[in-house]
Amino acid sequence: MAAEPDPDVAREAIEYCYEQGWTDGLPVIPASRALVDQFLAHTGRPPEEVLWRMDHLGTECTVETAAINAAMAGCKPEYFPVVLAAWDAVMRDRAAKGGGWQSTSGPAPLIVLNGPIRQQLGFNSTGGIFAGGFRPNATVPRALGLMLRNAFGVIPHVFDQTTQGIPGRWSICFGENEEVCFWEPLATEMGLEPGTSAVSATLTRTYEFVDNRHTQNPEHVLWDIADTISRTGVLIFRSQSVTVVLGPEHAQMLASAGFSKADVKDWLVEHCGRTEADLRSAGKDAVSEGGLGGRSAGEEERASPDTFTRVLPGREDVMLVVAGARNAAMSMVVRVFGQWSNSAVAIEPARAPVTAASPEGG
Amino acid sequence: MFERHGQPAAVICTEAFEATADAMAEVQGAPGYHYVTTPHPVAGLMPDQVRERAEELAVEVAGLLAARAAGEAA
Repeated sequence: MAAEPDPDVAREAIEYCYEQGWTDGLPVIPASRALVDQFLAHTGRPPEEVLWRMDHLGTECTVETAAINAAMAGCKPEYFPVVLAAWDAVMRDRAAKGGGWQSTSGPAPLIVLNGPIRQQLGFNSTGGIFAGGFRPNATVPRALGLMLRNAFGVIPHVFDQTTQGIPGRWSICFGENEEVCFWEPLATEMGLEPGTSAVSATLTRTYEFVDNRHTQNPEHVLWDIADTISRTGVLIFRSQSVTVVLGPEHAQMLASAGFSKADVKDWLVEHCGRTEADLRSAGKDAVSEGGLGGRSAGEEERASPDTFTRVLPGREDVMLVVAGARNAAMSMVVRVFGQWSNSAVAIEPARAPVTAASPEGG
Repeated sequence: MFERHGQPAAVICTEAFEATADAMAEVQGAPGYHYVTTPHPVAGLMPDQVRERAEELAVEVAGLLAARAAGEAA
């Protein structure tokens, strides 16, 4: 039996990482050369491959730097292909390449997994998908946050200009609950072969849940979701995108009533929006013309008070995911920062033996 | 960027972004780069208020441009 590790030695190494400015405020795992090599053994991508370069800052992240940060984030080595795919998926979002990482909104990546990787690595896709408690769900998004900080140099109060930010910015990652979903999984809908382990991701701004458990009419649920999507607070452009993380009860109710995913999206596109009077009350009536914000005071009305402005341009501006427990009819409305790429990235198949897959998350 | 191509330039930045502007100047190889600041915010200003700000800053901007044209301030 191996000797118990010395907690004081571990703490010294952790404190050293703090002193170097490598942490996000929580302790990191000190990354040895041997540990980083274990991560690199799980990918066929060369260590020197550049994942992305932030030209204006003169910084970049290679596969090896990503491995160091994934190790520090607390990932197991076998999570590394998921970290790489998650990075690639979020970088398909145009906003991520266009200054999103330094935005005053401080957008959070939303990372959704499909396929057998969920069970193989123990990703939670059922109860408490936003609530923590599962190592892969917690450490994969944290790895992205550490990459942004340590590789790209986007540090709070300097190049990270976040005004307030989003609670749990680097913790939003879960599997789709495909087992209770009557529709095709997200990655299949995005064109990958059924059963492919894949990641879809986008940058997001707000999270608000919809609790609607006392109706048998699916249009009541859709109306409630549409009302939440249509809040004026988040509106600054006419075009916006949204992710709806449907709880299994809502998803099954809609599917049983004959709604396809496309039907749900079309319903939301048609019903999400505000009247000119509402937009004017919020000083955002320029939104109805595609403008930024609005200038109500002293200006002529742009349209009649009951003119309705839709806020979702089309079906492609709605991402539908099914996740959570089947124990209460709740869903989450997520405002997307820019526009989701409408794609999924296949995760590189395992190359080295997986050390452990705990169904409880470990 | 303009200056690297021989064109004098002046940067105007709101006070809220000074820390970022200073850090950006440093990574671009121009630590201590001088720029003009104006109170934050500017996003909600009406056109005539923007004009007022421009008038207030004009002398300072002109001075910076003249100094740069003369090859003085970095």
